[in-house]
Amino acid sequence: MILKIIIGLIIGFIFGYALQRTGITKYPRVMGMLLLKDFKVLKFMLTAVILSMIGFHLLGELSVIKINPKPLDWGKLVGGLMFGAGMGLLGYCPGTMMARIGEGKKEALLAAFGMVAGLFIFILFNDFFKSTFMAAPIDGNLFAVLAVNQWIVIVPAVVLFSGLIYLINKNFSDNKKIF
Amino acid sequence: MEIDNSKEWHWFKGGLVVSLLSIGTYVVFQAIEHRSYPFGVTSGFAYISALFGSMFNDLAETTAVKNYLSKAYLEFFILVGLVIGGFTASKISGTREPEGIPATWKKYHGDNIYKRLFIVLVGGILLGVGAGIAAGCTTGNILQGWAHLSLGSIVAGASFFLTAVIAAHILFYKVWRTK
Repeated sequence: MILKIIIGLIIGFIFGYALQRTGITKYPRVMGMLLLKDFKVLKFMLTAVILSMIGFHLLGELSVIKINPKPLDWGKLVGGLMFGAGMGLLGYCPGTMMARIGEGKKEALLAAFGMVAGLFIFILFNDFFKSTFMAAPIDGNLFAVLAVNQWIVIVPAVVLFSGLIYLINKNFSDNKKIF
Repeated sequence: MEIDNSKEWHWFKGGLVVSLLSIGTYVVFQAIEHRSYPFGVTSGFAYISALFGSMFNDLAETTAVKNYLSKAYLEFFILVGLVIGGFTASKISGTREPEGIPATWKKYHGDNIYKRLFIVLVGGILLGVGAGIAAGCTTGNILQGWAHLSLGSIVAGASFFLTAVIAAHILFYKVWRTK
């Protein structure tokens, strides 16, 4: 029990520390990305995705871990669109919201309350949401669905994301004043 | 608000730290918790909602409440860690700037705090319901889900961006139109 508390605190601490130090918690940074003018947050996200994509699948290949992909159902689209609208209105997501509370951004407390209320609504009408959006999921394993070796997907994905980072890094400065 | 990029970590450093954390968390979770979907922020919030739900007789025995209460204990402490991490990082780097509502918001929408707080509450609730239905937030569906190349997460993550970009353009149409 105490071990779980410590592990949770350590994971959260490192995550919150990195988010704050990289500037991902900043309102103008996130809104700048959503207005397609400042892409530091996107470069950060894609870098993390590329590196962990390689890491996860290498460890999976070595049987150290078992990757358990999330299945595809209508909830991913419907919930995703709702979540995105919330993220656009707020200018931050649940992870950065908590780091922002630590930074002393008081409105994030209300956002956290809203998040808890939203999930309470989800729990309250769980049967409805489950039967309407989350019934009949499709296997989330892209490689199994395409019936190819995983590296045939991973290598192009890494090249594509890296190319995207290269292009936006060349064309948009992180120092630019947007607002 | 002017962003001083020299005070922030480079996006690559931030991405590297988070990818190592993401992989490390996954390995640790499979070792001690024997389950997947480890690096997420949504379940921590859902734990609080489920605690609240367990106070009602009608909800206490539902699978949703039982599920979150039995699983998401560790994730709750990730939330606490995020707050401490954000606080520590901002203190150490001298970038702690407490504020009620974002300065950028005030510049374009005036000082009416209730207008912003209304948006924050609506945004927070949308985040909660959306993350529940989509089975994860930005952390779970993009940082982890995209790295796993899960079909569900690819759809969810793309949906996040779609409505977030639309919402941001509606809120800041002045910024979007000027340049």
